[in-house]
Amino acid sequence: MPSGFLNATLLICQFELKRLFFTRKGQLSLITFAIVWYFILLYPIRFSADIFAQNQHSTQGSSFFEFIGFGALLNWKIPEFGVYWRFALIMFPLLCITIASDQSCSDRERGTLRFLCLRASRDSLFLGRFVGVMTIQTLLILVTVLTTLILAIYRDINLLPIALNSATAIAVNLVLILLPFTAMMAALSVSVKSARQATVWAILIWSFLAGIISGLSYYLPALAHLKILIPGYQMADLAQLAEWQTLELAYIPLLQSLVFLAIGRWIMSRQSL
Amino acid sequence: MSHSPMIHCHDLSHFYAGKAALNKVNFELAAGEPIGLVGPNGAGKTTLLSILCGFVRPTSGTVRLFGQAPGTSALNGKVSALPQDAKLDPSFNIGDQLTFYARLQGLNTRQAQHESMRVLDAVALKDSIKEKPDTLSHGMAKRVAIAQALIGNPELILLDEPTAGLDPVNTRNIRSIITELSPATTFIISSHDLSELGRLCQQILLLDNGNMSSMQLNASEQNSPTRFITLQMESCPTTEVIAQLKQVAGVLLVSNPQKNEFIVEYNPAIEPKIDIKILTCLMDNNWHYRQFSQGKTLEEKLFFEG
Repeated sequence: MPSGFLNATLLICQFELKRLFFTRKGQLSLITFAIVWYFILLYPIRFSADIFAQNQHSTQGSSFFEFIGFGALLNWKIPEFGVYWRFALIMFPLLCITIASDQSCSDRERGTLRFLCLRASRDSLFLGRFVGVMTIQTLLILVTVLTTLILAIYRDINLLPIALNSATAIAVNLVLILLPFTAMMAALSVSVKSARQATVWAILIWSFLAGIISGLSYYLPALAHLKILIPGYQMADLAQLAEWQTLELAYIPLLQSLVFLAIGRWIMSRQSL
Repeated sequence: MSHSPMIHCHDLSHFYAGKAALNKVNFELAAGEPIGLVGPNGAGKTTLLSILCGFVRPTSGTVRLFGQAPGTSALNGKVSALPQDAKLDPSFNIGDQLTFYARLQGLNTRQAQHESMRVLDAVALKDSIKEKPDTLSHGMAKRVAIAQALIGNPELILLDEPTAGLDPVNTRNIRSIITELSPATTFIISSHDLSELGRLCQQILLLDNGNMSSMQLNASEQNSPTRFITLQMESCPTTEVIAQLKQVAGVLLVSNPQKNEFIVEYNPAIEPKIDIKILTCLMDNNWHYRQFSQGKTLEEKLFFEG
């Protein structure tokens, strides 16, 4: 791969980070996220973890959590991470649909992409923006995982070695989960005129694609395999797994990401700016 | 040593919803003096510039800039442009964005910051380096867009309506920049301001209905047995002026394309000092002129020449 391509991709990625940390809009998003995360950490995670910790060894408690579908949480050695995992599986994909929705559409409508395309290839722009948004999400994941880890070891300092292991497993998994969502938003962003349109299309694709495939597979069962293309397809199974077991399903988001990135790159390389 | 053209277009066509914006356009351009691109609204000027920049893929035909396809990495930093209606990102200040563009062109951080300052200084906007694009007037935003086109040392700069919306002082400033950088940098300037193009360019490309023709401004008259003088008069009796000018020896034809404007066709072989004769004729009749120029205006040459 030529060094010019890599340099441009890296510069574009850095500029996306600058957009988050040094622009008013980015800082406002960060503050909003921090406040929302503070309340999630303080109430659902801390209180739920306390309840799990109290009932982890009681048969009655275990049966109750299994009955309401949260039995897998009992497999986690640190309940804070068990609860965090369930929250993160919903929160981060939803957050991704919002923060990754404007990877190129506003710039294209405004004409800014023309300035950029005079100096960088469309491939490096597409990939640079994708890597930039993924880096931002990885940072947010690391911050939330780290604060959950602090919460766990604040309760019991002896949990630190186990907590570090759980934290790493969760962070790696969440990044993997967000890859196809971000790639899908990258592909949508090159196809539509605004971030709002990209978000609406993502929700439509997400909800209707699953329904359509399920409907069609009723008549032609082989089509059920197409579900593998829906971002988050593996999340229901993931919620039942704990820590490093979750990597068993890593091939699904990686495959989905490659498909979405290939589609997005193909559209980007052919569209008029 | 090979002398491949700077721009080579062969059978270039582009269609929007079945309508031809460019129809099998063929031309080659060499590097050097500024080249004007003119044509009526919807003639395909912006489409042609967009294809040359790599913003739009042509429907058919081939385009090569410096032997490369438009939009390829080999042209990054070598070809620059002022695209029509393109705006900077409103989230970042101007200096940050120009520095970023300079970095993409391969400059290090310090060089890029220096370069953004230099190009803003060239368009008299050095003091606006920390401002956001939304706070600028239309004219200032246009100057910033011109500044980004000057980053680095591009060999070819494509300017789409560079002086539209600029005040006279800044129009002159842009003209000076183009004159200073030519011919080391070749400019292709799309504009409706024909007097501006007449001052800057030796070659004009005329696009009309998707078809292109080319004109060398000096060559067209030097090869002709007759020459022209264009007179712009203050208020005067048209019929009498025409009658009197026709009396001057060597004058072949006097036309009146617009009120108080006269085009005198003459034979230099009959009267080499005809300009003095015409001026004497005007003085004798106490008619005052505003402008007296050799040749026809660019507007006449391009759009009204029979």
